Amino acid sequence: MIYAGIDAGSRAIKIILIDTENMRVIAKGLTDQGVEQDRLASGLFKRVLKQNGINKKDVAAIVATGYGRSAVSFADTTITEITCHAVGVHHLVPEAMTVIDIGGQDSKLLQLDNHGRVRDFAMNDRCAAGTGRFLEVVAERLGVELGALGQMAADSCNPASISSMCVVFAETEITGLLASGTASEDIVAGVQASIASRIISMAGRNVTPPVIFTGGVAMVSGMADAMQTALGQNVTVCHDPQMTGALGAAILASKQFNAAGT
Amino acid sequence: MSDIPKRITLEEWDLRYEQLAKAGTYQPDYGGPLSRHVEDGDQRLLKLRYDNSAAALRLWNFLLTEEDRLHEARAAGKIIVGTMKDLGTVPVMAYCFENIVAFYPDGAWWIPCVMELGAGLLQIADSLGIDESFCPVRAMLGAFVTGAHFPIPDMLICSVGATCDDFSAIAQRLNGLGHPIFWWEIPHRRNPEPDETAVNLPGGFSAPQRQVEFVKSQLELIKAALEELASEKLDEQKLSAGIKKANQVRRYLAELRQLAFTAKICPVPALEMLIAEMLAIHFCSDRQETINVLKELLDEVTSRVRAGKGILDTDAARIFWVNPVADLQVMNLLEDCGGRICGTEYLFTHALDTIPEDLPPLEALAQMALADPMAGSSIDRAGRICADIRRFGAEAVLISRIPGASHCALEGQVIGEIVREKFDIPILEIEVPPVTDSMRPTVLTRLQALVETVKARRQT
Repeated sequence: MIYAGIDAGSRAIKIILIDTENMRVIAKGLTDQGVEQDRLASGLFKRVLKQNGINKKDVAAIVATGYGRSAVSFADTTITEITCHAVGVHHLVPEAMTVIDIGGQDSKLLQLDNHGRVRDFAMNDRCAAGTGRFLEVVAERLGVELGALGQMAADSCNPASISSMCVVFAETEITGLLASGTASEDIVAGVQASIASRIISMAGRNVTPPVIFTGGVAMVSGMADAMQTALGQNVTVCHDPQMTGALGAAILASKQFNAAGT
Repeated sequence: MSDIPKRITLEEWDLRYEQLAKAGTYQPDYGGPLSRHVEDGDQRLLKLRYDNSAAALRLWNFLLTEEDRLHEARAAGKIIVGTMKDLGTVPVMAYCFENIVAFYPDGAWWIPCVMELGAGLLQIADSLGIDESFCPVRAMLGAFVTGAHFPIPDMLICSVGATCDDFSAIAQRLNGLGHPIFWWEIPHRRNPEPDETAVNLPGGFSAPQRQVEFVKSQLELIKAALEELASEKLDEQKLSAGIKKANQVRRYLAELRQLAFTAKICPVPALEMLIAEMLAIHFCSDRQETINVLKELLDEVTSRVRAGKGILDTDAARIFWVNPVADLQVMNLLEDCGGRICGTEYLFTHALDTIPEDLPPLEALAQMALADPMAGSSIDRAGRICADIRRFGAEAVLISRIPGASHCALEGQVIGEIVREKFDIPILEIEVPPVTDSMRPTVLTRLQALVETVKARRQT
């Protein structure tokens, strides 16, 4: 049986199809998020099916997750990204006990039990500090590509101190740092440390290893190192971190709709 | 119980109102269809879902006609006293006087929430230098300036000291605008030293006798001021009778809470429970009608519980809610997500405890005032929350924060850590501004995730 998971995030829509015969990912796809979320998700779904020669009627059930999950009209049900990321990470790293997920506008810290179920979780507030949006703002302000931030952070000799926890205020701080001649590399390293520190403060004292890092921001090089430094313990970036939510959604689709006998 | 319990929209309430009216259901003089309040500017009501009982209709109408009641009291020559910050102590005393009506001007913080910012009260507060870095109770300043909501009271009484920094600043600003305030002080409640006489307070706290005596001396000053204002002596007998009446309200609420939070099927929505609990603070400007309204609601809930009927599925996640919300819609959202409230702590739990009737009345009121969660430490507050979590069997805790409200900002983490240590249950903190429409998906995700987490944990 084939099941689909759609993660309609704030920055990108991700789709994964799994075959429950062998619990293998048989197709996946990704596109930028936009205003017409349902149309974009539907278009991506059709494209993924076509590219992989899969007929829509062979997909037994679809679960949508992510910020825009309610906009995916063709999904059979919706489940939050908190639950889906936990399931996705547990599938890939069964021993995971803590999951850090940083997406475009949300950051989360999940504590799992031995079965990969969420025991507790914390999320960022409305503020975008500690999310991918923070990195985007910084990249824009410094006039560099998002992908270049990792190398810049690695080249930093003296990471700048970013004291503000607010993206808007931090942007003002960055302007001040640039005006005072601080190297861009040091600013980037400072911002990465600031995001990591924000996530860790959200965690309080509740970080049980192994810690797995997932979500789109996990792909930004340097972020895992910053997280590791702030946390004082190993942080492992999940395989294909941007797709973990969609993977979890597909697995949950298989569990829920198999259990329901459909 | 006259119908299948469910939550309905305002539009559906209009149809239901017609049915109830045709059936001859009792309506108090402030009764009528709920939608008429929208015409008065309460736009936010359009976004809410309500319990469909006649008891709930009466509760809502009672709440939403408080301003009318106050204006009628003024027209009838009654003395109007604004009891500020004190949550549930001075009103007990004020209602012992025949010609005094007390109300809670701080309650104006709901006006922007219900009127969708349309009344402009927050903007007035901004212009007076009390901006959004303060608690939304700053809306009270606007209400005093416009005079469009409640009549300007004949006397204002406000507690200061170990209360709320935001409110102290706002009340001082009000004072500066030319509204005289009778200030009384509530000290920070502390545990007695070994050489001090300890007093066990309602709610399970304790304080040194000298603190109780100090508060009693403050209440004596208030009593004297009220006596002068009302030209009426308040003897112990009258005060004791007033305490008994207040306790009637508190006993109904205690029964209501017990039923609502422990019934197998949730018998009454979170929103109606919040409003019912709020009545304990100030009686919505009519103590006797508060008793009548709560009695009807309690009867409705009792009959629902006996019939095994309610408004949610049996498997609803049992959530303990800490702090009141600025946008009432969020309480509806919890139920939309499959959660139910199973315990609450809205910063006035002391007003839900019965006032000791076996003590001299002023001593009893002094003890109640000192039992205020805001007057003690966050650890005390968390301790009481833990006791109620155990009592009501909550599976998770939701701590809502109001932007600008310093108590919410500072206490959430402490409460969360203590609860987590004791119970190992999920704790979620959310921020709820007065209007959450643009944040709805964000809040929804957090509430849904909490419910999913509770249900997942049941499988272990």
